[in-house]
Amino acid sequence: MAGYNNNAVHKKVESAHPKAESHHHDEEHFREKHLMLDPLPRGQMNDMVMESMTTTSWKFWAVFGLLSVIVAVCLFYVWGYMISEGLGVTGKNRPSYWGLFLVNTVFWIGISHAGTFISAILRVFKAEFRRPFTRAAELMTTFGLVQAGFSVFMHLGRVWLFYWLLPYPNQRMLWPNLHSPLSWDLLAITTYLLSSTMYLFLPLIPDLAMARDKSTGWRKTFYKTLALGFRGTEGEWTHLRNAMNIFAFAIIPVMFSVHTIVSWDFAAATRPGWNSTIFGPYFVVGALHSGMGAVVMVLAVVRGTMKNMKYFIRPEHFDAIGKLMLIISMAWAYFFFNDYMVQWYGGDKWTKQLLHFHEAGPMGWMWFAMLIANIAIPWAVLWNPKWRSTPWIVFVVGLIINFGMYLERYIIVPVSLSINRMPFTWRLYYPRVEVLLGIGTLAFFIWLYMAASRLIPLIPVWEVEEGQMAHELKKFGRETVVSVSELE
Amino acid sequence: MIKPEEIKMSTDESGKWGMVIDQDICTGCQACVAACAMENNISFVGEADSGYGRSMHWIRIERFWEGEYPEVKMTPNQPMMCQQCGSATCEPVCPAFATIHSQAEQLNLQVYNRCIGTRYCANNCPYQVRSFNWRDYERPEPLPNQFNPDVTVRRRGVMEKCTFCIQRIHKAQDKAKSEGREVLDGEFTTACAQACPASAITFGRVDDPESLVSQLAHRGHGVKHLEELGTLPNVTYFKGG
Amino acid sequence: MADNISRRERSGQVSLLAVFPDLEPAADAIDHLRTLGISDDQMNVISGIPVTEAMLGRPNQWTNVPRLAGGGAVLGFLGAVFLMYGVPYLYPYPIQVSTQAVIPGPPTVVVLFEITMLGMLLSTFLGVFLDSYFPNYRPMEYVKEVSDGKIAVFFICPEESREKFTKAMTALGAEKVEVAEVEHL
Repeated sequence: MAGYNNNAVHKKVESAHPKAESHHHDEEHFREKHLMLDPLPRGQMNDMVMESMTTTSWKFWAVFGLLSVIVAVCLFYVWGYMISEGLGVTGKNRPSYWGLFLVNTVFWIGISHAGTFISAILRVFKAEFRRPFTRAAELMTTFGLVQAGFSVFMHLGRVWLFYWLLPYPNQRMLWPNLHSPLSWDLLAITTYLLSSTMYLFLPLIPDLAMARDKSTGWRKTFYKTLALGFRGTEGEWTHLRNAMNIFAFAIIPVMFSVHTIVSWDFAAATRPGWNSTIFGPYFVVGALHSGMGAVVMVLAVVRGTMKNMKYFIRPEHFDAIGKLMLIISMAWAYFFFNDYMVQWYGGDKWTKQLLHFHEAGPMGWMWFAMLIANIAIPWAVLWNPKWRSTPWIVFVVGLIINFGMYLERYIIVPVSLSINRMPFTWRLYYPRVEVLLGIGTLAFFIWLYMAASRLIPLIPVWEVEEGQMAHELKKFGRETVVSVSELE
Repeated sequence: MIKPEEIKMSTDESGKWGMVIDQDICTGCQACVAACAMENNISFVGEADSGYGRSMHWIRIERFWEGEYPEVKMTPNQPMMCQQCGSATCEPVCPAFATIHSQAEQLNLQVYNRCIGTRYCANNCPYQVRSFNWRDYERPEPLPNQFNPDVTVRRRGVMEKCTFCIQRIHKAQDKAKSEGREVLDGEFTTACAQACPASAITFGRVDDPESLVSQLAHRGHGVKHLEELGTLPNVTYFKGG
Repeated sequence: MADNISRRERSGQVSLLAVFPDLEPAADAIDHLRTLGISDDQMNVISGIPVTEAMLGRPNQWTNVPRLAGGGAVLGFLGAVFLMYGVPYLYPYPIQVSTQAVIPGPPTVVVLFEITMLGMLLSTFLGVFLDSYFPNYRPMEYVKEVSDGKIAVFFICPEESREKFTKAMTALGAEKVEVAEVEHL
């Protein structure tokens, strides 16, 4: 089929123009630039994806081994130590009862927003550039939420009683308090984790079936089990298409609700600096900001280190995400300013004190670094199509944005907590073992991602093929343009 | 059984137990802090943690000063404890119902056994009077001998705060009930009020206009802290009377 | 189709599969099969990309997924209603927090929304499993070429006219026509 489509592109252009020779250049240019116009036979793409999964160098294992050690020590050992000793081993105090764990939770939930944004919103709006990397982004959602879950459980003083948060009938006749934003959080994050995992799995079934047909040994058993007996009958495709459609639409409000509710943990509190009505959308945009930054980082690493990925992930994709990053950076700046302006104008003396503390307090450098990393640098770099098409440049910008967004959450949580209406209790927060645990979650995220990259096809091959069928070149007068048919 | 819709909302007047603190006569001697710790089995945190802002006091004496050295002017000491708000911001945010409003005493309860340690209540307390058990603090012999048997001992990961010595309230109520009478004003008091050498703390029924605490509270120049937040605190402060 | 094997063997019918390299010949073949007297419910198509029914001129597939999603949403909503409006009455005495009503207004909306969505999405996912009979590890009629982009058309024809059908399919561009073997996937 891919071959058929390939011919169609050629035929179309050649018949549309009498001088096929002069057009050859044009077409080559398009093929080089756009994955969707550079079709390969499906079998070949399958083999490339299978090869990318099965090829591992010693470097992969070295990094993987190192991460395993970090996860074992920083995450599980330190967590166990913290559980047995109590939260005294962290740097929390009065008034910073919340510290790095909640910063990490908000951060990881932010990272998880990119996957849904790319695979659901871009699917709903039929943004074709999404096709090769929807899965790479969705994996970030699921694994990011796992880390968010870890972080929020670390935060609990008596984590072994976490199930008291769940609504289940029990002998004591006690139910969770659904007045609390933390209960909504638990509901929202559970909903989001389950639905994003299901949404990751549904489009994966056909690719697992492909991998089943192409593999032997333990991989065969693995894929056979996961592919659930998928053959690709008309019925199976119809059910799958319908379900993916429902998911794409329904998961968008869930995604918005998750980060809005996370923001309500702060906004619902009677604290200066937190009690802001704009926090919901501000947090959602902030989540997308860090999430998109993380997606380009992952894509740059996948493209740079995995075999055959340079065919699937091209500069055009970095260009497209770069544009989104620029727009989201602008949106973030807008919300940030809105929040700041209204709080500044409100004239509440505690809020004023807090704003002053943000900018001129001992953590003032964070505030300025946040603005530089979240606004100045993305704007200075991403306007340039050439720069934003260069993977390593976008990688660096993504890294800086994530640094800036981490600072933003740090300023909102422990820095804002340092100041309150009882000046007698004002005190700074210095993280201790939280840092190790934070590193542990980061290592575990990368560890999961590396494991997944060798176990499940990172590229949704059938979606790429579908896109390649739908694209062709069309002549309007002298100009050759890309046209897309709506197959879905 | 009370139906949910029968619950009366707390208002300014519906508080039951209340306190009046006269900052003008408070000497800042910390006797209340010590008495509270003994009465309520509060852990000894130690220097290091205490210096890092983890002191466990259900009542603390806040000292403020104005101006730069050497022209420093001390303002009156300010004992600060849970204000037993009628509309407490700490209550709705607990996901486990570990801090709730008691119907009988009109107090802000902390259920230690139900607490899972999210510390949301402490963040949301505008008075910052909640103490968290950051560790299982050591209590060397013979200190365990002075445990108050009427008060639960808390473990690590649990939030705690001033209860207005609810165990004393119950004891007095039980005694009065067995004698077939109402609790008399001044029959008992909280540990902090009992220990105060200057009698700066007065405790009693604020819903009884005849009680000493009511008389004092309506003397005119009393203020309630952060009243503008709508928390309906039950502690009245006198300063500069 | 795997279920029908024994029945087919008894009635002297055979299940053939024709593998086509592309959409056009597959669509032509399906048209031709109809003129040869094979009805739509005796045919099945398997493919490596979602080929819509319209592309091959096939009747629309019935799917329960949207209905199941709706049902799940209703169940989720009812669960949330129980949590918000029922649970407060289960306590021996009502638990009051702050001055908030025992059944709070705005938080109810949040819980209703989240649990409704959870119910809907879970049942959508389960709907795919139910409608597609997943997981299904029984041996089935399959050709691995479909995952490389080929389109396979299965059809049931009388044993005696097997030759005729094979020829017709080959003439329309089938890469291979053979008896559909039931195999472990």
